[in-house]
Amino acid sequence: MSTHETSMMEERLRAALSARAEQVQPEHLAPLAPVVPLRPRWQSPWVLLATAAVVMLILGVAFRGIGSDPRSDDLAPKPDEPQVTLPADVGRDWSKSPESTPARVDLDGDGTKEKVEFLAEEAEEHDGRVRLQTTLSSTGEEAWGVMQVASTNIGMTAEGVIDADDDGDEELVVFDPGVDPSGGFPVVFDLRDGLLVQAAPEDPDLLLRGQVQVPGSETEYYDLVRTFQYWIDDGSLFSGRSVESFARAGEFWTSPLEVELEAWEWRLGPDGVLRREAAGCRELMFEVRACDDDSSDRLPVVGPAATESFGMGEEFTWDDGYTLTARLEAGADPALVVEGSDARTINHSLEVRDPVVLTTRPTGVFGDGASFVVRSASDPGYLQVLYQRGDQLQALAPVGEVPLTDDETHRTWLTTDGSLVTVVAADDGSWRAWSWQMVSRSEMAAIPGGILCFDDATDPTTGRAC
Amino acid sequence: MGTRNAEDRLATGSGTEPAVDITDLYAAHRLQLVRMAVLLVDDFGAAEDVVQDAFAALARRPDAVRDPSKTLAYLRVSVLNTARSALRRRRTARAYAPPDDVAPPGPEDAAVLAEEHREVIVALHTLAPRQREVLVLRYWSNLSEAEIARTLEISTGTVKSTASRALVALEKAMSGTTAGKEER
Repeated sequence: MSTHETSMMEERLRAALSARAEQVQPEHLAPLAPVVPLRPRWQSPWVLLATAAVVMLILGVAFRGIGSDPRSDDLAPKPDEPQVTLPADVGRDWSKSPESTPARVDLDGDGTKEKVEFLAEEAEEHDGRVRLQTTLSSTGEEAWGVMQVASTNIGMTAEGVIDADDDGDEELVVFDPGVDPSGGFPVVFDLRDGLLVQAAPEDPDLLLRGQVQVPGSETEYYDLVRTFQYWIDDGSLFSGRSVESFARAGEFWTSPLEVELEAWEWRLGPDGVLRREAAGCRELMFEVRACDDDSSDRLPVVGPAATESFGMGEEFTWDDGYTLTARLEAGADPALVVEGSDARTINHSLEVRDPVVLTTRPTGVFGDGASFVVRSASDPGYLQVLYQRGDQLQALAPVGEVPLTDDETHRTWLTTDGSLVTVVAADDGSWRAWSWQMVSRSEMAAIPGGILCFDDATDPTTGRAC
Repeated sequence: MGTRNAEDRLATGSGTEPAVDITDLYAAHRLQLVRMAVLLVDDFGAAEDVVQDAFAALARRPDAVRDPSKTLAYLRVSVLNTARSALRRRRTARAYAPPDDVAPPGPEDAAVLAEEHREVIVALHTLAPRQREVLVLRYWSNLSEAEIARTLEISTGTVKSTASRALVALEKAMSGTTAGKEER
């Protein structure tokens, strides 16, 4: 819809809602009645209690075995409890998406797996619904469920099957592939009263996959996120949240190789609500596994340091990736001369009299062209990062919380894999690792990583857990 | 209900001072809440029940709202949830019962609306419940996106996208009323 059409529709909707609501006038309402029944003063709570007990006993005996309909206010959900929604019988005529793969799951517990097909609501560009439908092998009856998805144009597949309520049949776990591929949440369908009912997690914020911002953690250059993951293991659904939070700047984030998770197992109650039970510690790397005592992979990667360099009058050729040759020429101001494979030559004056250029390029800061780390032969605290911007080299000014230097309390080095790292000493002898990231065309900022200790603070390979 | 005494009042929190008076709330907000419920369930009788259930739930859980200023918001959430529950029960009944068993609308219902409004209301009730709730809260309750997000426990971004998509779906439903009715 165009903006004008949207505005027209909004006005029309507003008018219709108002007109419909105004049809209800005070005189239409039933006479006011107290919501809380009044209690006669002569009745003490004890008399009420005793009377109620006797009445319940009599009723219980008289009507034993006779089911009664629950009161409507008993059925009414509490506002703070998860809601289980019975699916409407919609979408019988929706089409099967060729990208979808039918799921196989024993929904009725008879030992035969039902074939669950996914029928997608027609949606040109927006989200919509998917109908899950099957024929139960035990009764031959049709069962269906409905799922709201981010895109009906992407094929649905089952994530797996679980038996989260230990009733002998299986529940189907589906993932909405239309959401951000790095995130999303599982949707669990259970056969209840002949319908595929979507289970409602009591804490949906803890049953998902991806990175979630820590509230209030946003700074000018980064925010903090926690890693979430869910998985199916031996017929059970688990999820976990990283114990630590990690800094994120754009697409970069400072997660270690291995992330320690606080894990939960999700159990399905008779009310259709998924509730979590503590499942202890898990480690997430490429897959989830039980925690062990080896925490080395949970440390930030800070080494080894790149040490090879060339100085005044020397040159170096990089023949991997973006091929180029660079040399340091003497003059009124020393210059870094770069000749690229595209025949472009850049002559960049340097601000130090005795420059050395590391032969490892800081690709962790800038990898889309030429980039260099320039140090000083006489001043170990001096570092400068240059990157190619068109036909010139541009220095990146360090901004943010951490200075770009190398001294007793700030150790800075370029790792052999191209990351520029500064570790900052804390009062307790530990060091906080920071990784430098480009935050604008002329600036870079250090993003906080994990904490570690060093046997020798001048040697990053001696980093260990504190 | 002409007179009240202390026993009619429902105190919240652990203190003895009544923080929330359900009778006052009932008198003050019942009409607005029934109107909102009508927009959600499109049935006056069901809407009255929904609101009654919401107040009953609050009466059963007096400690659910510790801040009196949030009582209306709590009741609004309760009405939304109870309306959803009522719709679920209605859908289930329709799924298992022949179409003739569905009760005809009462005289207060949308049948007497002007045609231009009726078309919108009919289309509104073909939308997914969440879409309908967002539209009602936004265009009738006049809640901000942040308030809707808190009420429905979703992000403001989801409120925006849901509202946007709901308007598109509404227009689509209005242009294809027949398909919408079948689906409903």
